[in-house]
Amino acid sequence: MKRRRFDPTLLLLGPAVLVVLGLFVYPFIYGLILSFEPYGDNEANGFLGSYMAFFGDARERLSIWNTLRLAVPATFIDVAIAVPLAYRLRRPVPGQRAITALLVIPLTLGTVLIAEGMLQFFGPAGWVNKTLLLIGVVDHPVQFLHNYLGTLISLLISDFPAVFLLLLGYASGIDPALDRAARTLGASWWQRTWRVTLPMLVPGIAVAAALSFVATFSVFPSAVLVGNPAGETRVIAFAAWQAAYEHFDYSMGSAIAIVMGAIELGLVAASLSLRAGGYRRLSTEGAR
Amino acid sequence: MSVSASPRSVTPKLKSLRVRDLTKSFADTAAVKGFDLDVAGGEFISLLGPSGCGKTTTLNCVAGLLDPDAGSIELDGKNVTADPPEKRGFGMVFQNYALFPHLTIARNISFGLEVRGVSRAEIDRRVDRALELVQLAGVRQRYPSQLSGGQQQRVALARAIVTEPPLILMDEPLSNLDAKLRLEMRHEIRRIHQSLGLTTLYVTHDQEEALSLADRVVLMRDGVIEQSGSPEELYAQPRSLYVANFLGYRNLLPVQVGAMNGVSVSVDANGARFTGSARGPLVQGGAAVATIRPRDIQVLAIGAPGTIAASVELAEFVGDGFELSADAGRGQRFIARTAERWSAGDQVALRLPPERLLVFPAEAT
Repeated sequence: MKRRRFDPTLLLLGPAVLVVLGLFVYPFIYGLILSFEPYGDNEANGFLGSYMAFFGDARERLSIWNTLRLAVPATFIDVAIAVPLAYRLRRPVPGQRAITALLVIPLTLGTVLIAEGMLQFFGPAGWVNKTLLLIGVVDHPVQFLHNYLGTLISLLISDFPAVFLLLLGYASGIDPALDRAARTLGASWWQRTWRVTLPMLVPGIAVAAALSFVATFSVFPSAVLVGNPAGETRVIAFAAWQAAYEHFDYSMGSAIAIVMGAIELGLVAASLSLRAGGYRRLSTEGAR
Repeated sequence: MSVSASPRSVTPKLKSLRVRDLTKSFADTAAVKGFDLDVAGGEFISLLGPSGCGKTTTLNCVAGLLDPDAGSIELDGKNVTADPPEKRGFGMVFQNYALFPHLTIARNISFGLEVRGVSRAEIDRRVDRALELVQLAGVRQRYPSQLSGGQQQRVALARAIVTEPPLILMDEPLSNLDAKLRLEMRHEIRRIHQSLGLTTLYVTHDQEEALSLADRVVLMRDGVIEQSGSPEELYAQPRSLYVANFLGYRNLLPVQVGAMNGVSVSVDANGARFTGSARGPLVQGGAAVATIRPRDIQVLAIGAPGTIAASVELAEFVGDGFELSADAGRGQRFIARTAERWSAGDQVALRLPPERLLVFPAEAT
């Protein structure tokens, strides 16, 4: 066997490796170890003390549910809106650039700015309520802010661009001749959607949903700014922050963060297995 | 050149297709203008022409994938112009095959049967028969990307015929294949057309493909039919210079019309005099173009009577002979096909048989 010579260009990986080690691997391992070193009252329960405290407390446990209750519908709604829109915009249509730019703007704003805008727009005297009152849909201003709804709306806005852009890439990769072939073979619009378009989009949907879920599951600013962090939007990231910086229990804070990471990992694995089970992208190559 | 048609064993499903005054424009350019066509059951019609002549637009209008601006399409006397493609039930083979990459070969072929709600057992039977017909075995559970281009082409063909459509539409189906496969698939397409009694509308820009496959060739130019007829007719009796040029009359000689005697016309090309056969209205003293196929030029030893002298510039071996490019002086260059071996620098005498030298009125183009 030929002995492999060291390739000096590999040294170029150095800075990137250092950044990953320093900014991701080290803090992660540090946090993982910290989570097994309980603090205060939890010390009596051994190295799993912080985890036992988290899962033993109904209020803390509830933060998982509070987060899922936001992340799952937000992901679902964003994907459901983005799929038809991306499919529609996959080919040049009049005004496509303007529409795409408009849809992508939230990406540049960041959650805090979106939340600030929402405080005006969705407030009791904001445009939305004024309009609703004017056309007589409601008698009293609707409470959009500082509750579950406010946080959900904020997540929908901030998360949509990434989901849309990702699906747009997948949708524009679908050969338009496939739809025409299906038509000449007698398939109705529904049959073409279910048998051709959606199956072709499944890998994209799986990836978009996974990314969207991770992004929305770690919601923090909007849960505080336009949500109700003391109640229905006491999300898991907020619980971790509270443990670490209000109660100064770093071990507990780390344990909650690890739980959060484990749940995210589980859901990402689930969506990616959906992708692996379905049609794979490589199958398109030969047909081109 | 045409594959001789064997007696048809199957009655065609189509009785007649009638296209009248079909017109379609894109933005401000008219792609098809007043296109008329009558197709009888069992016919193999080829729409031939260069890219941009409107042949694919015509095909897509017949398929229903494009809405014509005007005109009508009648299938067995029933107007289907407003029907969407899924209602017409025609089979179509696309240039890039358009196989569904996420479905197996078996499911690709059965797609049209599944959406029609055909029973599982019947689907299996018909898919087997279609695969047998296109001579593909052992690929049922494979995916399109795992097949070669030729195999994908066969699957596309099987998918189009499995629903037993009254009309098969083909859009340059062989253009993505290499020369050898192209020839093989050409025979396959004609064989399947005959054995199933299909009616086929076939779009191509390749004159050889059109002449060899079709019972009738429709040559298009700028959205209108330039000439339509049997392959033999188009080959021997091109109606215009355009048709002639498209069908292999590669020698084009600007001439001045001299004395005319019936169809025989004498022309003058920069002082060289030829006799040719008049095609179209010629005016004595007017400009015309004389044209002849390379294989119709006789290449003789220098000094033969009634010939023009030329010197061979290039001699290309083309399998069954040589293709010569010969300079006859006066800015005239002839391409000739000959069975004998000639080399560059040889002096030859070219004879242009009057009945093979066609003289067309000069065109504005």
